[in-house]
Amino acid sequence: MMTSTTVRTSEAVLREESPQRGPGRARRRRTPVTWVRGGGLSTLVIALPLLLVFGLFSWFPIVRAVVMSFQFTNLVTPAEWVGLENFTYVLSDPLLTTAVRNTLWFALLALVLGYPVPLVAAVLMSEVRRMRGLYAALAYLPVVVPPVVAVLLWKTFYSASETGVFNTIAGWFGLGPFPWLQDQAWAMPSLVLEATWAAAGGTVIIYLAALTGVAPELYDAAEVDGAGVWRKVWHVTMPQLRGVLFVTFILQIIGTAQVFTEPYLFTGGGPANSTTTVLLMIYNYAFGGRGDYGAATALSLLLALVLAVLSAVYFKLTSRWSS
Amino acid sequence: MKSSRRKTALVLVGALTVSALAACSSSDDDGGLTPAEASAAADEPVTIQVAIDEGLEQGAIDAFDTRIAEFEKENPNITVERQEYTWVGTTFAADLAGGTLPDVFTVPFTDGRGLIERQQVADISGLVAELPYADGFNPNIAAAGQSTDGTQWAIPIAAYGQAIHYNRGIFTEAGLDPDDPPSTWDEVRAAARTISEKTDATGFAEMTKSNTGGWILTTLTYAMGGRAETVDGDTTTATIDTPEYREALEYLHDLRWEDDSMGDEFLYDWATSHADFGAGKIGMFVSGGGDYGNLATQNAMNPDDYGVTVLPLQGDDGAVLGGGTLAAVNAKATDAEQAAAVKWIDFYYMSKLTDEDAAVADAQATADQGQPVGVPILPVFDQETEDARRGWISDLTNVPLDQFAPYSEHVVDQPLEAEPPIATQDLYAALDPVVQAVLTDENADVDALLADAQANVQNLIDRG
Amino acid sequence: MAVVTTPAPRRPAGRRRAPASEPERGIVSDADRRRRSVRWPLRASHVALLVALVVVGLGPILWLAKAAVTPTQDTLRTPMALFPHGVDWANLSEAWSRFEIDHYFGNTMWLALGSWAVQLVVAVTGGYVLSVLRPAYGKVLTALVLGTLFVPAVVLLVPLYLTVLDVPFVHVSLINSFWAVWLPAGASAFNVLLVKRFFDNLPREIFEAARVDGAGPFRVGWSIVVPLSKPILGVVSVFAFIAAWKDFLWPLLVLRDVDKQPLSVRLPALESYVELDVFLAALAISTAIPIVIFLIFQRTFLRGAGLGGAVKG
Repeated sequence: MMTSTTVRTSEAVLREESPQRGPGRARRRRTPVTWVRGGGLSTLVIALPLLLVFGLFSWFPIVRAVVMSFQFTNLVTPAEWVGLENFTYVLSDPLLTTAVRNTLWFALLALVLGYPVPLVAAVLMSEVRRMRGLYAALAYLPVVVPPVVAVLLWKTFYSASETGVFNTIAGWFGLGPFPWLQDQAWAMPSLVLEATWAAAGGTVIIYLAALTGVAPELYDAAEVDGAGVWRKVWHVTMPQLRGVLFVTFILQIIGTAQVFTEPYLFTGGGPANSTTTVLLMIYNYAFGGRGDYGAATALSLLLALVLAVLSAVYFKLTSRWSS
Repeated sequence: MKSSRRKTALVLVGALTVSALAACSSSDDDGGLTPAEASAAADEPVTIQVAIDEGLEQGAIDAFDTRIAEFEKENPNITVERQEYTWVGTTFAADLAGGTLPDVFTVPFTDGRGLIERQQVADISGLVAELPYADGFNPNIAAAGQSTDGTQWAIPIAAYGQAIHYNRGIFTEAGLDPDDPPSTWDEVRAAARTISEKTDATGFAEMTKSNTGGWILTTLTYAMGGRAETVDGDTTTATIDTPEYREALEYLHDLRWEDDSMGDEFLYDWATSHADFGAGKIGMFVSGGGDYGNLATQNAMNPDDYGVTVLPLQGDDGAVLGGGTLAAVNAKATDAEQAAAVKWIDFYYMSKLTDEDAAVADAQATADQGQPVGVPILPVFDQETEDARRGWISDLTNVPLDQFAPYSEHVVDQPLEAEPPIATQDLYAALDPVVQAVLTDENADVDALLADAQANVQNLIDRG
Repeated sequence: MAVVTTPAPRRPAGRRRAPASEPERGIVSDADRRRRSVRWPLRASHVALLVALVVVGLGPILWLAKAAVTPTQDTLRTPMALFPHGVDWANLSEAWSRFEIDHYFGNTMWLALGSWAVQLVVAVTGGYVLSVLRPAYGKVLTALVLGTLFVPAVVLLVPLYLTVLDVPFVHVSLINSFWAVWLPAGASAFNVLLVKRFFDNLPREIFEAARVDGAGPFRVGWSIVVPLSKPILGVVSVFAFIAAWKDFLWPLLVLRDVDKQPLSVRLPALESYVELDVFLAALAISTAIPIVIFLIFQRTFLRGAGLGGAVKG
């Protein structure tokens, strides 16, 4: 949809509208009056919502986060500069290794469960001739359920007693009862299961949209070459989906690195810190009894740094592959 | 073109940085009020927000409103607004900074000292000294609301000792005598086993989450003769890696893994454990002695099923962990608001302990709304005052007093110990995972867990 | 979320989309479908998928609906049984009235509407300025907006909270006011860039023509840009609405007043002192409404959720 006309800035338009400028003069002198007349003030006014909202609630807090990470703040006494002390405190907190390990474990489980399964489902769905809408709606339904409701509902499912919902179902197959949230090894996978249930539908729909956008001629061409169904999937569909797959992969990593609602509502980080994630740690630094806002911002910056490096490395790698 | 773009960017970032730096807040220095200031402030029209518990039934809310009306009649220049507020340690600092804290609020003993140390409550010691009973407080209990120089920054309004709550209905169902509850830890264990074998209920439940794990574990340890901290002048040493803590953890371990009498739920916090106990799912659990109100009102427990008994104490040093509630005033309250707030505290919380008419009026209002009256509590002042109070309201008492007997008759004889004074919540928080580990991992290494917890807590104490 | 596009695959020159008479096809061609070895496994896998979707996607929700009208003891003892002791419709009315679900649902809707409005205003004006008006500081602005995409939300949590506590220059606290949720919601770089890209793809001649006619930025914006942007506004609205419903941590922090809290914050608090059956009824009501809205606006949801095919291979 790209047209070939160049974009005209307001200045270019201005230039054209005032042909009486002499040769050799590249631009008109910019004075406040010409700026206003050229629509500059109106533009600024129109930009005001963006400037104010982003300025106050995005850029300013980001800068403030950096500043706060070097201060000791408890909201009652004035903030004092402590240099790198927050960072050393955070990095030497024994809970950090646990939290990082848990976060990675969550991300890994979520990736294994939530990355390929939606893909398979989407590929199958794209071949459905009739009632594709039904499939899509069913898949997306869990996404529509508010996350808090989903967690609280699944908390009921995960009751560890014999008559808990999942344990009853397991009982039909002669299995269980399982401890679910009450066991250190089971708690995190339980969280991942619910989180995947709630989010997979969104991924399915994204894949589906990308799949239906694959040019049919490519499949025609492959068939001319004698490709069967599997070959087509492997040699046409997958490469075409590469962009989507790459993007959803990194987005999923960044999203799961910041998981908070599930650990907070399901287990509060337990049992025995087995579901404490980095974000829960940040929350507890800031909003746990001590109100250590400096440590909280220091840790969030460290997390952001790690994610930034990760994304940069990732894009470097994938650009080499796809080019 | 490029340089002007860069200039714009630099200016923007610079402006943001400068404003970020400038946005450091400064606190107001509010010293205590002198009596003169207090009385001058006393007559201005003033409005205060006072805390009321969350989740109350309409009846309880109406009782509260009746009391407000009575107060406003006596103090025509003061308007009182109620605000649902439950002490939540996690957001207290933010609530304070954000101005969403009511002027009068209640805070557990556990957290009071920390707040006072950080000056996050108003210094009302001058106003408190004016109260007629200022010298009559039980010193152990008053200490919870004092700053390091001994002045009273918060007023103790209730005190309790830890207790074992048990469900009489479940006891009967299991063939145990509800009037003869267990009095040693071995008996508790046996009762738990019987309950879990003969009924569907959990024999013995334990809180483990949101700092309650450490709190109850420390309770058990105190009862077995241990302590959490030793204070020697300015040095505080954590005493967690000790035989008594180990004994408490092994006790829990045995109940959980050998007897399987602790049910299926190991992530209980205060609210959920009380909810399940009120719903009749739990046979016994340890909590504060004054919890009947919450159980009966917010958790709709059947009063006939309620029973409470004292903690079994062991050895020479076995003691009951004491707790209680303080009433404090918002650090940001103005002088007039502070004066009004102390008046409200005196009227609503204290007068029913010391003044017969007030006690009866409060009891009447509460009883009219069908709420529990006469739950036995520990004396904030002394035993005679408390006995007198019970006498005043004996006609209106509607709780099954005889069901409280195993507790109320014996707790006065038990030595009461204050909670560990330094970094209390941090200490409890560090012990939560220890309790959770023991209850969810049969092979948990108790020694390693205690050693780690000891180191963690000492760090937190030292960080200050 | 970052929206990254790589250039669309190069089609052989001169070839366009297949003419309308040919049916669209996917991986499996018509010829494939006629072969037994493809048709039956394909059908079987579709049936299996449908069953799986119903059990996994719909199952929990149906269970919730059933449990909402089942007495507590039945849910606890025999959770998978179907009304062994009859239906308890009173759960629903008790959840609705005693726990005032209607009030908290109203709060959620208010929050969603306000956030949506702020997001729309910021995204449309922002996209318009950055894409069409292109002032001298436009490039810097775009870079700054783009930059925020790469900052994870967690970094903002604490400082944004403190900013809302005491807004610079005006020294007002937005805590306990819906503005504390509405305004920060507008700072969505994703929305702005989405709208900007959309405007980038509009032919410039439209704006030029209006400009030559003497229309200033406001006129151009109001009479041309806004009407033209309806498609992208649909996508932005879907995301805004979903995001507002999902919001939990932020309202938890800034709406301390129980009266103002949305459902997402209130429900967990209710859990500890409400009986299980009424609690599940409350959950059911809270989820029925977004589901109904989803079913009605299905197509818009699904189109928006697929990012309109914006991300291609």
